[in-house]
Amino acid sequence: MSQTTLVASTGRETGSPASRRLRATDQIPGVLYGQGMTPVSVAVARRDLRLALSGPAGFNTVLQLEVDGKTYPAVVKDVQRHPVKRNVSHIDFLQVNMSEMLTVSVPLHLTGEAKAVLNEGGLVDPAVDTIEVECTPGNMPNEFVVDVSEMQPGDVIRLSSLVMPKGVTALGDPDMAIVTAIHGSQAEPTAETAAAVEAPEAE
Amino acid sequence: MLMPRKVKHRKQHRGRTTGMTKGASSLSFGEYGIQALEPGWLSARQIEAARIAMTRAIKRGGKVWINVFPDKPVTKKPAETRMGSGKGNPEFWVAVVKPGRVLFELSFPNEEQAKAALEKAIQKLPIKARVITREEVI
Repeated sequence: MSQTTLVASTGRETGSPASRRLRATDQIPGVLYGQGMTPVSVAVARRDLRLALSGPAGFNTVLQLEVDGKTYPAVVKDVQRHPVKRNVSHIDFLQVNMSEMLTVSVPLHLTGEAKAVLNEGGLVDPAVDTIEVECTPGNMPNEFVVDVSEMQPGDVIRLSSLVMPKGVTALGDPDMAIVTAIHGSQAEPTAETAAAVEAPEAE
Repeated sequence: MLMPRKVKHRKQHRGRTTGMTKGASSLSFGEYGIQALEPGWLSARQIEAARIAMTRAIKRGGKVWINVFPDKPVTKKPAETRMGSGKGNPEFWVAVVKPGRVLFELSFPNEEQAKAALEKAIQKLPIKARVITREEVI
């Protein structure tokens, strides 16, 4: 678990035009909420936020959020992004109790090169990019690393085979596939769409 | 080519394309994708051309997702016809695209080849677009 201090200012004006003006000064509008507290509208400096979340835990860093002289342990609950620029336009902080269980999404990283799969023209396909787990903020893992170098075509790594650190419980079906090694013939570039159907012209 | 199996109304108004995409602005399936940077209509033919360009460039060992579907009919009047006498006949289908929309996604082991394939697909589209990856900025 990594902890970082982040200073947030309060008293910002709410609403779209005010938030737009705030973003122009390189500040990100946000909100801090949690159990037993009144939500507070805050603003954080974009540079400070980038530094705070650039640690090994990334977006799962437990922040010590300084608001009006008080410090709250908080995690990033949600971020809204600009659709084209893709930078953060609003951020939600959740105040956490360090001894209470929390549900978080932990990123999944694949390491190694599945030579047996690639030589056959296949593909190692991660079915998910995050794993949902339940843990206390103190036990929150930074990431899950899965070694795919020994995978053979047709192999599947399931959630149950992922080793969880102490105090961490994976949520979801234990049989859920998290990484699949697709055969060469299956990995031919085929298109998938919501409703890829060919039909005669509409009447 | 992609087209709806059946539609409730044969002809539609052209409509206005304002603002940015409401959702589908980040990658959901693949590791790389094509993101629209301006609004426009993508015809079924253009989507198919982009898909073929992409799949030919990666040859084998990849997976492609098409995130847009051409569900809007576009009508045209026959050549040398006098104005009036009602709206023309449905000629082709388009997908309405707003800036930020992820159009295609791709999974492929080699990043360089994947990006080159997506650049080739962008050449087939009538709008400005760019290649994106899963890396996010703050």
